Amino acid sequence: MADDWMEKDRNSFIFRLLLTLFVILAINFFLPRMMPGDPFSTTSADEVGEEIIVMTEEQRLYYINYYGLDRPLHEQFLVYMKNLMTGNLGRSIYYKMPVSDVILLHLPWTMLIVVCATVVSTISGVVLGTISAKNRKNGSDRIMMTGMIAFAEIPSFLLGLILLLFFSVYLRLFPLAGAITPFANYNGPAKQAWDILYHAFLPIVTLSLSQLTGVYLLTRNTLITVTTKDFIRTARAKGLGEKTVWNRHALRNALLPVVTRTGFMVGTMMGGVVLVESVFSYPGIGMTLRSAVVGRDYPLIQGILLVIAVSILICNLLVDKIYGKLDPRVGI
Amino acid sequence: MIKDIAAIGNAGILSFIQALNINRLVSSIARPFSKFSEVFSKFSTEGKIGILGIICIILMAVFAPVITMYPPQKITGDSLEPPSSRHILGTDELGMDIWSQICYGARMSLTIGLAVAFMAGIGGGALGILAGYMGGHIDQGLMRVIDVTMALPSFPLLIVISAFLGPSILNVILILVIFSWAKPARIARSQTLSLKKNNYIIAARNYGAKPFYLLWRHIFPEVMPILLVLVIGISSHAIIAEAGLAFLGLGDPTSKSWGMMLNHATGFRSIYFTPYWQWWLLPPLFMLIFLLLCLAFISRDMERILDPKLKIKKGF
Repeated sequence: MADDWMEKDRNSFIFRLLLTLFVILAINFFLPRMMPGDPFSTTSADEVGEEIIVMTEEQRLYYINYYGLDRPLHEQFLVYMKNLMTGNLGRSIYYKMPVSDVILLHLPWTMLIVVCATVVSTISGVVLGTISAKNRKNGSDRIMMTGMIAFAEIPSFLLGLILLLFFSVYLRLFPLAGAITPFANYNGPAKQAWDILYHAFLPIVTLSLSQLTGVYLLTRNTLITVTTKDFIRTARAKGLGEKTVWNRHALRNALLPVVTRTGFMVGTMMGGVVLVESVFSYPGIGMTLRSAVVGRDYPLIQGILLVIAVSILICNLLVDKIYGKLDPRVGI
Repeated sequence: MIKDIAAIGNAGILSFIQALNINRLVSSIARPFSKFSEVFSKFSTEGKIGILGIICIILMAVFAPVITMYPPQKITGDSLEPPSSRHILGTDELGMDIWSQICYGARMSLTIGLAVAFMAGIGGGALGILAGYMGGHIDQGLMRVIDVTMALPSFPLLIVISAFLGPSILNVILILVIFSWAKPARIARSQTLSLKKNNYIIAARNYGAKPFYLLWRHIFPEVMPILLVLVIGISSHAIIAEAGLAFLGLGDPTSKSWGMMLNHATGFRSIYFTPYWQWWLLPPLFMLIFLLLCLAFISRDMERILDPKLKIKKGF
């Protein structure tokens, strides 16, 4: 009976993910088609001196036919889905190359800072949360908590601006923009790695700080709940050292929710990374999205949205799998 | 003769005033104030700072034409003047006064925050209450929609939709409402579900109360305080989202919001190599952070005052 319920719950979870993916695909498909006119009826120049291309009626019809805009909507949708399945996301107007290539070029940078920030914020959040829970009866816990909560309310891009202004502009400790020193010749891979880390440092710190409070609060509150449980009293009663009680009994149980939180964290970070990368001019997909928005490069915008959405959904799925492995009470 | 009538009239008025019972009149006027100060005294120090801060920002927005010397979108000085007696916070690259931009920009942030929060809070809350009360397929359907809405990556979608629909205040507000109604709806629904099992509501229904009466008199007043706390959270989310969109260059180009100021300042070439950032970039940055901190303090305190047992999940 209980197994049935679990099975149903899991199915509905996967169904929900698929439904979400479908909604995103539908938005992606219908948004450009809902706009008045078509992309070929007008091409206007924003700046003086820019070339204005006027298409003849024949050319316009040719392009509409080429992109399949004259066919019925459901056929267009099928073609769109087929293209997606084969990894064809269209061509970027600005970069003049396939959207998938542009994304692959910039995605590693985003992955680098997101993965590093996830690791940093999870570890430091757990450590700080444990310290806070151990000192629950002193004032230091209260001070830490008030500070952390106030900190969490500052959105990541404003935090990034403050860090940039203080460390890069005022103290001149860190670079202002970019992911590598331009035109640098490296003497070895160690130097190159150092340069990459040096440039990625502030973006990673910004992202980690914005996620730190969530992990901290979760660890602290779960630890406090866990330490009131009977098995902790038993562990103490049988004469285990305080260190063993905390690390082996309390922390191990408190880490389960943290795992879930880490997965969702990647999701929220993928949203915030667009702004943080813009602040630091870091050449990941967020920065590319900004320039695509400024340049009205619609195929690229859609492609990046799809990549971000899919990576968030994959993270949710992974969390579900890992959680089942860690907690034997959730059957798979 | 005429005097007499006047005297009678006066006496009549006097007795009328006496009959009114001045004490009650005074207390009825004073009651809202005393109630307000009673509520105010319940707030912690942070909460009080938050309320005073919000009042300051609202006053700044309302009296913007009075406290500034120049209109915000008019060239009134040289380009990039440092702060002086003529321009309290200096000027931007076009020679527009930054203090006026800050004051008028407060209007933008507050309008977006309030509009989105009330539309999403009241609309989502009403949907949630109705679904929770009616149950059945409508409830199930709404829950599915809520699940999907909450799973959507809101900020990337916001960027894409406003890139396609074109930047205007109305579009930004509407898109934000579409992405923030789900949370109040879900919480209102779960509250309604637990409320409608209460005996007094069952009793009222057995006495023949119509659904509308039940919802309006019994369920809505109970759900309202929780919605109010959520509304503050939604408004701060909306303010962040608007600032973020404007920072990316997707704000309404005709308005000067704080996010737009950040966008213009960071878009200015070599701003970090010149002292300009000190008076051009810092004021909107600090105002935004101050506003968000004030809202956060208030919402935390309100959560605590309304119900210590109530824990609304924050962060998503």
